[in-house]
Order: sequence, then C-alpha cells, then structure tokens
Amino acid sequence: MSGWLDGLRVVLGLELRQKLTGVAWWVLLGVYALLLLVVTGVVTFIDGAFRGSGTGLDGSTIYSSIIFVVLLLASLVTPALSGTAINGDRDAGTLATTQVTLITTGQLTVGKFLAAWVAALAFLAASVPFLLFSWIVGGVEVDVVLVSLAVLAVELGVVAAVGVGLSGLVRRPLFSVVVTYLVVAALSVGTLIAFGLGSLAASSPATYTYVSASDYDDVTGLPTACGEPQVTHSSVPRPDRVWGLLATNPYVVLADAIPTHYGAHGEPDDAFGGLKWTVRQAQITPELDGHSDECEQARQGYTWPEPPTAEQTIDSTTPSWFVGLIVQVVLAALPLWGGFARLRTPARRLAAGSRIA
Amino acid sequence: MASGIVVERVGRSFGAVHAVRSATFTARAGQVTALVGPNGSGKTTLMLMLASLLAPDAGRIRVAGADPVTDAAAVRARIGWMPDVLGSWPSLTVRQTLVTTARLYRLPVARARARAAELIAEVGLTELADRPTKVLSRGQKQRLSLARALVHDPDVLLLDEPASGLDPRARIELRELVRRLAAAGKTVLVSSHVLAELDEMADDAVYLDRGETAAAGALERARSTARPWRIRAASGDARAALAAAGVDAATIATDRGDLLVPVAGEGAAADLLAALVTAGVRVSVFAPAVGDLEQAFLELGAGPIDGGAS
Repeated sequence: MSGWLDGLRVVLGLELRQKLTGVAWWVLLGVYALLLLVVTGVVTFIDGAFRGSGTGLDGSTIYSSIIFVVLLLASLVTPALSGTAINGDRDAGTLATTQVTLITTGQLTVGKFLAAWVAALAFLAASVPFLLFSWIVGGVEVDVVLVSLAVLAVELGVVAAVGVGLSGLVRRPLFSVVVTYLVVAALSVGTLIAFGLGSLAASSPATYTYVSASDYDDVTGLPTACGEPQVTHSSVPRPDRVWGLLATNPYVVLADAIPTHYGAHGEPDDAFGGLKWTVRQAQITPELDGHSDECEQARQGYTWPEPPTAEQTIDSTTPSWFVGLIVQVVLAALPLWGGFARLRTPARRLAAGSRIA
Repeated sequence: MASGIVVERVGRSFGAVHAVRSATFTARAGQVTALVGPNGSGKTTLMLMLASLLAPDAGRIRVAGADPVTDAAAVRARIGWMPDVLGSWPSLTVRQTLVTTARLYRLPVARARARAAELIAEVGLTELADRPTKVLSRGQKQRLSLARALVHDPDVLLLDEPASGLDPRARIELRELVRRLAAAGKTVLVSSHVLAELDEMADDAVYLDRGETAAAGALERARSTARPWRIRAASGDARAALAAAGVDAATIATDRGDLLVPVAGEGAAADLLAALVTAGVRVSVFAPAVGDLEQAFLELGAGPIDGGAS
C-alpha cells in the first residue's frame, strides 16, 4: 500500500510541476483574484451605500454573494485545468512513456485527478483573503465558513473528476474540455431548466372547491344563505416529484449544506438559508384538493392558519444537499472510471483513428 | 534464454487494417537485432506489443521470459522502450525528467538522482541538464528519450527509430552505446527503415513486410548471394582485368566513375580482388555497393525503400 501511495505521489508531483510551472496558470489565477477583488468591492460598496437607509444588505449576504461567485468562477476554471489531463499527454507523446513504467493505470488516473483537483483548489485558496474579509465584515458564524469551504472543495473535485475522466474517453483535448464545460453548464443551468420543465410535465389534476355566500343579513352583514359549491379543475405542477433535479445543482447543494441560522421569526439570516428555504418548498406536495368556504368562514369569523416558518419548512423536509452530492459523485465517478478503463494496457481496443503512442 | 525476446505468430489488427499479420522471430541476449521494414509495415505496432502497451490478437510473446499480456509489470521492469514519437514533459528539466522517470520505475530518490546524473553524461546532455526539455532540439530529445529508456538498467531494449534526427557524430555514439549494451549481455531490438544505419550495428535482422516476418537467416543468405560490388581503380585497365577474370562485360554498370560488378558472395569477391591486383590494377575502392541488410531486403522482393541507399 505504501508502495502504491509512493507511486501516486510521484505522478501527483509530476502533474503539478507541469501544471503549475506554466505561465498560463498564474495568469489565470491573477485574473481570478482580480475579478474577486472587483466583486468584493462592489458588494461591500452596495452594502455601505444602503446601510444608512435601513435597507442595507445583511453582513452575511456579502459572504454568501462572494461564496457563490467563487463557486461560479472556480467551476469555470476547473474544466480547463482538468479537461486535457490524459488526451493532452497522449498528443504530447508523454502518456505511453509513463504507462510503460511500473506506474499502474490506477495510480496514473488517480494521480491525474488529484493533480487537477489540487490545481483547482489553488483557486479556492486564492479566494481565502476575500472570504476572510467578508467573514470579518459580515460577521458570519464559523460553521457557515467551514461548511461552505468544504462543499466548494467537493464541488471542484467533482468537476475535476469529470474533466480528467472525459479527457481519457474523448480523443481530442478540445472536445473533452468543451464536453466538461457542457457538464458544468448542465449541472448549473440545465438542472434548473429540467426542474422547471419536469414539474410541468409531472403535473397532476387538482380540484378547488369554493363556497360563497349567496345572501347577506342587511344588519349584521353576515351570510344568511350559502351558494352551491363551485368546483374548478386545474392542472398543478408537481415540483415535489422532480426536486431531485434541483438538488443536483451545485449552488443548491452549497446553499442547502450550510447550516442555517434563523432570526426571531424563524426566517433565515443569509442568502444560503433563503435559497435553501425556497428549494425545500419544492419537496412539499401541493394541495390537490383545495377547499375554501367563505360562507362558513364569514359566519364563524375568519381564521387564517399560521403558515409554517422557514425554520419549520426546512426542518420538516429532506436535506437535499445529501441527495445532490450523491448524484454528483456518481456522475463524476462514471467518466473517471471510463477514462481509467480506456487507459488500461495492454490495450485491446483503440478508438478509431487513435494511436496509443 | 529468459532474457531475450520470443515472438510466435503474433498478429494485431485495427478494425479492417491488419497492422501485423504473422510475426515470428527471436532476439537473443547479447545481440543487436534489427527490425527492418518499409514505412507502415507494422514495426511500431510490433514494438508496442513487445512494450506491453498493446495486446496482440493472436500469437504468443515472451519478453525476458514474461508474457506482456498477462504479466505486464514483470515485462515493464525489464524493458527499456524508446518510442518513435518524441515526447517530453516540456516544463521539466532534463535532470528532472530522468529523476521522475526513475521514480516511476520505483527507484529510491537517491538512486534516481545518481542514475540521472550518470545517464546525462552517457548521452552527452551535460550542458543542457538543467534546462527545460522544451528547448531541446530533435536530436537532443532523441538522446533524452534513449536515456529515459535506460534509466532502470533494463535487460531488453526496444529502440524504435533511435537514430532519426541524430547528427553523424551522435549516430556513431549511439552505435557505440548500443554495441556496448549488447556486449554487456542485453537484448537489443532496433527498428529502422534506414538500412545503412542498422547495417553498422546489427548482428541479426528481422524483416517485416506488410505485417509478416520473413524467414530467419536472410542476413546470412544475403552475404552469400550475388550483388553489385563497387570497384574504383586508381590506375590500370579494370575492365580488361575483369573480362580476364571471367566477368561478363554486359553485366558491368558504372556509377559516378566507379564500376558496379555483380559478385556472388564474399569468397568470390576475395578471388576477384586478387585477380584485379594480380593484373596490375591499383584498386582504391572494393566494397559491396549495397549493405547486407539492403541486399537481403531487396531479395525479399520488398523493393527499394526510402533512404535505403544513403
């Protein structure tokens, strides 16, 4: 086992040395830090400008915004860092000379994945000063910071695994990078569209019964006679049937995983909690047999059922980040395993038009 | 003979293309075996199968006594493979490349460093040892590739077109290195389509044409069959002397002032030279006009190959 890890370390060192000695990587890191600086500046400025008027952003909103921007930027950078790991080496003629050594295919695949992940994590590390700043300014709880960093790290790992796996499955580096970007787009945007369309497609028929007063007492204004119940039929979207799609979204996973702190009325105190509340509501089955008896209500005095608070809703629903992460890890493991299978030597089957060396 | 290469009826196709149809040969330890064939004859595919990177569809391979399909690790520990494609990690230095390769072969760090220093000197890259490999010229990359193949001191060397891109001096050094490795008991298989280059270093040859190997011993036969010899006379009537020695004048060709005379084998050549000298012709050049390998190749009906006569 220690021999296996030794080999893995050599591959990891080799990959990182190649990735990190390029000028391009440092330029990318610089541009990334600059963008974050701009975003942090703008968010802080808005916060300062509105704080006096009483509608200012909550301190923790600054932190949430920056975390979301970090996820956005890092998930845009990672495909470029990982998407050519295997087919790029094959094109450069350095893959076969590595395969012919005593390094196993497993060590090579895992080493390349870890290297891509570490290179992506460097972008997370570059965001730490900004997160630290927003943490101090925003006054966010420590658990929020720790969990958000951990989830970001896992999300980057998922993208890195997809990129490395696809670089083993797709022959041309350009295509594997593009397909990795498409996977990121599918997870970030595609899941939202699929969720919207899916809830519509899964619509169920619903009825709504409404009873109104047909006659009123002139003095008291209370109903004296009730009308016939009016039944309307409609089709109700069923997000509760496809909420898994929404749960797979990286931004949703991030927001859902972060522990929420509530205000005095059970309302979440940051953007993560707000998003979490919205998303969790999708799990609740909509009312399919609605009933409203205005006549009866008017007689007995109007009572409104207290709607559940955000805290109650969140506590009564399934933590969807868990579901989302499992789906994502499976999605990442599949191409990685495929790339590993394609990399195995002695090779029996080669993709059309490809050379092993 | 556990350290050599044994190939029996090996075949490999890519879809409808039969890259190697049926290859059978043996490369012995302590010898340099040339793998000769025109472009596209399957040399590289065969090399890849020997290097345990490609699985054969049919046949049996033993490299250093192990089967590359079922026991690739045992084969890899004992082979050094120099591919025909020149690839190097561009941002690593020559030294880092060799140390990393040695580490990939599970050499301990200290041993890897020592081995890298040794090989850098051996292949003549001392001045470039700490420059990134992307600045190397083609010939220098070729040397680095050779050093990389030698890093774990393998028993069997598979060299795919090792001399292409090398200048004449580097070629001589390569030849000497290869001969030295063979003398140390290693099995060396060298592929090339430049026959003159192999002629200088090979003990034995395997001919591969359209994926099939020709019968063994072709090199031996080539040495004893008729082929043109180049004769240059400093003075004296060479033609008359040749006619007197029984050479049909119609078979004599000329090339840049030299005479090309068909001679059957080494013995006949020695007799002819003696006859010419006896007749008072002062001979300055008397040598086969084509190399042993080229002759054997031509006899096998493969036709002329590019660069072969150079």
